[in-house]
Amino acid sequence: MKRPPVAAINTVAKRLVGRSDLLISRKGVRDSLVSLAGLIGRPVLDPEGREIGRLVDVVVRHGEEIYPPVSGLIVKVDNRKIFLNGARISHLTPSSITLSSSKINLEPFSRRPGESLLDADVLDHQIVDVDGLRVVRTSDLYLAPFNKEIRVIGVDISFMSFLRRLFPGSLSRRPTPDHVIDWASVASLTDSTGVVRTSGTRAALSQLRPADLADLIEDLAGRERGALIEMLDPDLAADALEEMEDDELEGTLRGLTAELAAELLSRMEPDESAEVLRDLEDEHRESILNAMESTTAKQLRHLVSFDEELAGGIMTTHILIVKESETVGAALKLLVENRERESSDGVVVVDSKGKLLDHIQTVELLAVDIKSLVSELIAKPYPTAVTSQTPINEVVEEFSNNRGSSIIVIDAKNKPIGRILADDLVDALSQNRGRFSQSGVTRA
Amino acid sequence: MSNVTIPTGRKLRIAAFLAVMGPGVIAGLSDDDPAGITTYSQLGAQFGYRLLWTLVVSTIALVVFQDLGARIGVVTRQGLLGLVRQKYGARAGSFSAVALILANVGTMTAEFAGVAAAGQLFGISRYITVPLTGFFISALVLRGTFKKAERVFFLLSAVFISYVIAGFMSHPHWGAALHGMVVPSMPFNRGAISIATATLGTTLAPWGLAFIQSYAVDKRLTRSDLKLLRADVWVGSLLTGVIGFFVIITCAATLNHQHITNITDASQAARALQPLAGTLAKDIFAIGLIGAALLAASILPLSTAYSVSDLTGSPAALDDKFEEAPLFYLTFAAITVIAGGLIMIPGVSLIWILISSQILNAILLLPLLAYMFGIARDKKLMGEFVAGKRALFLYGGIIAIVAVCVLAQFWFMFNL
Repeated sequence: MKRPPVAAINTVAKRLVGRSDLLISRKGVRDSLVSLAGLIGRPVLDPEGREIGRLVDVVVRHGEEIYPPVSGLIVKVDNRKIFLNGARISHLTPSSITLSSSKINLEPFSRRPGESLLDADVLDHQIVDVDGLRVVRTSDLYLAPFNKEIRVIGVDISFMSFLRRLFPGSLSRRPTPDHVIDWASVASLTDSTGVVRTSGTRAALSQLRPADLADLIEDLAGRERGALIEMLDPDLAADALEEMEDDELEGTLRGLTAELAAELLSRMEPDESAEVLRDLEDEHRESILNAMESTTAKQLRHLVSFDEELAGGIMTTHILIVKESETVGAALKLLVENRERESSDGVVVVDSKGKLLDHIQTVELLAVDIKSLVSELIAKPYPTAVTSQTPINEVVEEFSNNRGSSIIVIDAKNKPIGRILADDLVDALSQNRGRFSQSGVTRA
Repeated sequence: MSNVTIPTGRKLRIAAFLAVMGPGVIAGLSDDDPAGITTYSQLGAQFGYRLLWTLVVSTIALVVFQDLGARIGVVTRQGLLGLVRQKYGARAGSFSAVALILANVGTMTAEFAGVAAAGQLFGISRYITVPLTGFFISALVLRGTFKKAERVFFLLSAVFISYVIAGFMSHPHWGAALHGMVVPSMPFNRGAISIATATLGTTLAPWGLAFIQSYAVDKRLTRSDLKLLRADVWVGSLLTGVIGFFVIITCAATLNHQHITNITDASQAARALQPLAGTLAKDIFAIGLIGAALLAASILPLSTAYSVSDLTGSPAALDDKFEEAPLFYLTFAAITVIAGGLIMIPGVSLIWILISSQILNAILLLPLLAYMFGIARDKKLMGEFVAGKRALFLYGGIIAIVAVCVLAQFWFMFNL
């Protein structure tokens, strides 16, 4: 079977995304739409119009293409379920399927990777409507010939279409394309082999804000969550995970492979990752850490070991350290290289032994010549520092005494090991207070 | 300097338990609704302490299936009817929904009837009590946050203590009660079979099962909440049994003892208590009835609205606005208005509505329990929480008991 050029589909897809109503309302398209729910149980005919068997399910192949083509049919012939290649379909109507030849191989169906069964896996299951930002239930799927193959064009989620299916006879087969969502804008999550991938979905998902994605993920159960997260770009997925409630995040990680969990956690801010890891069961935490790159794992292990009610437990280890002997230019270069991180508002200056001297803000660096030494900028006020063993309430006290936006965390030898930003503190405090009200019931 | 208190250890766990405490207790206790109180009163009045064991069985069944419902809700993030639609098809889902709606309207009518009857005990007309109740529960559940409503529910359920007090005031024969609880005896006649079935059906109400699952989904309870939720469900279910126990022994010690066995509603039971245990006992019984009716009447339309939204897959959350979840709110309103309206029609045969809704509940229970059984053993849906052999054996045993009761009920219905 020849694959149509991807470019052609993309053009159509562009026209379709968000505008499915236009395509559906076109007379030509409307007439060719076939309701999948109505088609199940209908006869499969040979070229002479004799019944070969009854349709049990439709198999589609998910690949590069936005609209997955029908790769085969599962047909019940004399109480046996057999598989027929999709290429043999010559004609599709709402009430029957006609094959191009009457020859039947009695081959049993076995699912190949990337395939899903429309009735068993998608119909009446939950899908993510990416445009509408919600989890919905599939009332019907619409098939239509398009680019030489029969494809899934749209998903119907309306209540009316669901009711229509309960009617007997041809009434149940009549397409009601009022609430069709284009296939390109949904994520179907219930393939029993794991993931249904469509390029359209991936593109649509990448447009979402992390907080919206986090909400969508929280609406799903474990398996579907895993499927949705696997579909996402890892950086976006990590951002979304950061937005999730702690309890939810813990549950989500349990549904992922250790490798994927490790990848996502290493892309999150270290203090956030450490906080999650601390809450996991020992065995689960070890399996994730073992799957991680060794330096990241080592850093996280260190963070996890701190008590979350001490400064070390809420600090971020992402700090930019420069020696006093370095130039301002070198410090600025370091800042530019790390501009994505939240800790990039300045650098921490240490002496030759690595002991804390000062925290210098980016603005101060910009005000002087790039060839001058960092040591020239060291002056009062010196930064507030706490040790990793300082209890949170003392950190709060330091914050309110100094009115700064951050505090440096040092070890016993006065070496900087991390930093606590005001928002880390807010998180830590609201979580502790939240224990009383955070459990689902009262989250109203 | 500001006080930063960080709760730790035990204190935190207790606080967390109180925070999650609620849905299980509410769902459990609302099974002790007027229909339930009536059934328990009949059981005690007609058979004394002999059939107490059916309450024990029903309570075990309630604990087991409420616990399963909570687990399914947390793990799958889907309501019961939504899962039935997904796993067993659109027709199975719709059939269950239609039956559930009809049964719920009937049960809701029974709740209103309970309010009306209790009101009349204090000399207040049903044309005042019923609309007032409808307005009160809608305002309670729909306006303001559910958290506030929950507090009111707890206050309401405190009223159930009145049954315990009434129980002690009636000076029951404790030895006979214990014997009736642990030694099963079953007179094989229509009256006994149907009261046993009714006890099972009213204790293990389908809408209660649907409620606990939907609630867990709506409130996004997570696996880490599950331990607390299950504790809550256990407490609620056991309390249900305890209160049922006291209603039964109250009626056994007084009504059955005096050979007053023709009780048809709970207010009659209350009235009959007066000469035997005093006016106070009557009043306490009536107050319990009002609390029971209000609690159940608040949860029933909510459970129905959840179920319909589950089935259609449209969003359903108490904190949604009307425009976001119209179907949810319309269902809530429809159930309340229809049931309230039925009660207000002069001369309508309430007893027929009550009986048919209880029968429908019992019939509906069978497929719903079977669906839950199927979901519980579905590895794809339940993942690591899939039910093991022992659990399935327990579920199967309870389903078999329900099936026997329903079949016996039918046998007597068509052979008399």
